[in-house]
Amino acid sequence: MAEESRILTGYVSLPYKWAMGPATTRFYEEFRKKRIMGSRCGKCNRILVPARSFCSDCFVETDEWVEVSQEGSIRTWVLINFAYEGQPKEPPYILAILDLDGADVGLPHFVGGFEMKDLETVEEKVRIGGRVKAVWKENREGYILDIDYFEPID
Amino acid sequence: MAQAVAIVGTGQTECGKRSDVSYPELVHEAVTRAFEDAGIGPEDIDAVVAGSMPPAMEGVNNPHLYLAGAMGAYGKPLMRTATCGSTGISLAHTGFYHVASGMFDTVLVVGAEKMNEGDPQGTMATVADPFFQRPFLAGAPGIFSLQSNEWAHRYGIEEKRVRMAAAEISVRNHNDALRNPYAHIRIRTTIEDVLTARIIAYPVRLLDVCPASDGACAVIMASQEKAGKLGRNQAWIKGVGYCGEQAFFGEGDKVVWKSAINAAKSAYDQAGISNPLKQLDVAEVYNPFTFQEMLFYECFGFCDFGKGCELVEQGVVMPGGELPCDPSGGVLCTNPIGATGLQRVAEVVLQVTGRAGDRQVPGAKTGLAHAMGGLDQFNGIMIISNEL
Amino acid sequence: MSPRVAIVDFVQTEHGGHLHENVQELTFGVVRKLMDRVGIDRSEIGTMISSSADYWQGISCSNSYYYDSAGGNLKSGSKVGEDSVFTVIYGMMRILSGHYRTALLVAVTKCSECPSEHTLSNLCADPFFHRPVGINGVAVAGLQARQYLERHSPPTHAAAQVVVKNRSNAAKNPYAHVRSTVTVDEVLSSPTVAAPLRKLDVPVTSDGACALLLAEEGTARDLCDDPVFIEGVGWNVDRSLVGDRDLRRGSLHKASAMAYGKAGIRDPGKEIDVAEISETSSYHEILWSEGLGLCGPGEGWRLATEGLSSLEGTLPINPSGGLFGANPQVARGLVRVGEAYLQVLGEAGDHQVPNVRKALAHSVHGLGGQSHSVVILGH
Repeated sequence: MAEESRILTGYVSLPYKWAMGPATTRFYEEFRKKRIMGSRCGKCNRILVPARSFCSDCFVETDEWVEVSQEGSIRTWVLINFAYEGQPKEPPYILAILDLDGADVGLPHFVGGFEMKDLETVEEKVRIGGRVKAVWKENREGYILDIDYFEPID
Repeated sequence: MAQAVAIVGTGQTECGKRSDVSYPELVHEAVTRAFEDAGIGPEDIDAVVAGSMPPAMEGVNNPHLYLAGAMGAYGKPLMRTATCGSTGISLAHTGFYHVASGMFDTVLVVGAEKMNEGDPQGTMATVADPFFQRPFLAGAPGIFSLQSNEWAHRYGIEEKRVRMAAAEISVRNHNDALRNPYAHIRIRTTIEDVLTARIIAYPVRLLDVCPASDGACAVIMASQEKAGKLGRNQAWIKGVGYCGEQAFFGEGDKVVWKSAINAAKSAYDQAGISNPLKQLDVAEVYNPFTFQEMLFYECFGFCDFGKGCELVEQGVVMPGGELPCDPSGGVLCTNPIGATGLQRVAEVVLQVTGRAGDRQVPGAKTGLAHAMGGLDQFNGIMIISNEL
Repeated sequence: MSPRVAIVDFVQTEHGGHLHENVQELTFGVVRKLMDRVGIDRSEIGTMISSSADYWQGISCSNSYYYDSAGGNLKSGSKVGEDSVFTVIYGMMRILSGHYRTALLVAVTKCSECPSEHTLSNLCADPFFHRPVGINGVAVAGLQARQYLERHSPPTHAAAQVVVKNRSNAAKNPYAHVRSTVTVDEVLSSPTVAAPLRKLDVPVTSDGACALLLAEEGTARDLCDDPVFIEGVGWNVDRSLVGDRDLRRGSLHKASAMAYGKAGIRDPGKEIDVAEISETSSYHEILWSEGLGLCGPGEGWRLATEGLSSLEGTLPINPSGGLFGANPQVARGLVRVGEAYLQVLGEAGDHQVPNVRKALAHSVHGLGGQSHSVVILGH
């Protein structure tokens, strides 16, 4: 084919209104009060965080709400150091899966509160199994980012 | 040859604006009801099939993976099928082939949509290609109005007559929906209301158009052996047919509509149906727009071409007629698109197993479920009977 | 004995970073070429199953745009998402049902036309918990790599060795998009993107399409001299929320156990002669090799450092170059099956592995490998 293909530029931009449902709604109401809640599955006895209305493994409704700790340990982490459209914050930042004390599943969130000059200095501060604690924002709107980040407390 | 496939359970949610629950919770509701209906649990399921409209409808990519837990699918084979408006019937076909191939004994099939979370018409406008068609096709109503006008013109059907027949279909569906606990639009309408409603896309008026609904539907399919063990409420899949056509709307004939004709023919051949009007007892025809339903009557061989209006006028497709259509209230009153085709299947199952409550077609033994999708491109059929 | 389903032929595009044909032209191109090579008319094709993804096409109900250009006009068909290995599985089911003798499988993706994979894979995360903290494909890959490093302490060059191997293989594959080689030093000195993952640890995305013809045994023998049989398929899904999962183990072992069970394979590391794996990052090839049971847990990195997975090794992995050679998101799974087919047939050209009797193709979609699929091919 002789001709190069011309490019038609366009955008698809659509608005969304996601219904949280009762469990997530309550979970985030508790966030305003700086409380992290889990729900217990009566069958497998796991504490699921974020709290949810049913246990997918056992396929039964969860039946009890329990508060879990604001502290926990790092299951694994990653240093994000590149930019893309729709990114939650300016890189570099650290995303981790956190095992909060009292919870049986992990919660992904940011680890921060210190300068991230390069991978080496970050690796001194952050490690698998390292302890962290939630740092809450002053103004909370009932959303996952009400926790600004988890900071290392080792 | 294909292993016989039974439908041993169905579960539907109440449809409408379901902001009371999240998308996974909505799906969980339908799946739980299907398990209750079949008298089994997720541990009995060998594989799961799921589908919905474009992921942009709810703004979640890989929606089947997001909904996996809500379907009890963890640790199981899960496959997504999606074919636009015909997704629900394509899902039923995918589930059918999971079992008919001999690969699985018990399969859960789930269709869902939560249209109130996004911008349904905005999403559907992106079905059209961006080079030629996207700037013109005004969501779904535009396409179907073009088709209806062409049909009426081709056969010289007087505008007044078409409008009256369409209005009767609208009133029939709205009345039926009042008897269906899962239906979304539950209002009593009159012919006068329909004829004078606001024009959406001429000739389509407000009461000729389906709503955008939140809803989910789950169906459990099983092999003959497994169904025999469960021993309750069995319906049998007697025929499946599907046909797709060109991407360019102007290319195919949308009146003598080959994809609809072929889909019905394949399903009829498998089911041994030569005279659908006599051999079918009930039909759930996919009718997001009243006018289009009459065109389907013709393509499915319920009557000759150009004679669709007569079936309405003579009451053939009305309650108590020879072939009552859309006893559920149809797509016109409830349309969570990814679930819609599967709801047609679920309704026919309820009808042929005599469990359709106030809307039961007396003595129904064999029924047709249908869905349509793409840019007037895809048609799919399933014939379901209470006898193997 | 149950009926068998065979591959009759396979055609792929010369994948690229920016192909100038549109999606309709790409699908038409591969299907036309396939029919010409096999020597059949469209009327002889039973059903058409395609795979694509709406977000990866910028056109919703993506198959409505190419249904007819992919050979499906006035035929029965369907679309499976979002991993094209499912076309093989669904096509096979349709043939086994007895309804069809042949199934045309088509897959297409033009990554150059969509938002970046980082943006689109972030949309795979749930809107309430994971999306706002930036969970996406490469972030989860980084989380998995960190866990692997911590647990198994492979030498730093191990993962880089995977990239070097695959890029070197891709240089021998005329259909690959990326055909330049790299060194371990170049990988290790490339900038971090999702540390420990560096830029060169992650394949770039590509444009590409492919088509494959399946047939039941008798028809396959009429259509070609040397049909390659599908001996087993398996697929499995893990939990939705990343924090709920064991990211090291996942559900791959369940998918492969299903496929091996059907194929009668007991010792995959010995019985599989070549594997085409969807290595969405360098560490993923290591992780998926272990999940597939091609080696023991924690031993995946040795396959690369000891040369076992190289083209000349005892268990070559990704002789085509894998995703480091070409990564057309949704179409890449069917490309893996096609490449595995060429290996069994002995027609893979410069990247042919000698004496292949059994080949494995693997594909993955979802964050961190939430869904895996496995196909075993043989004579």
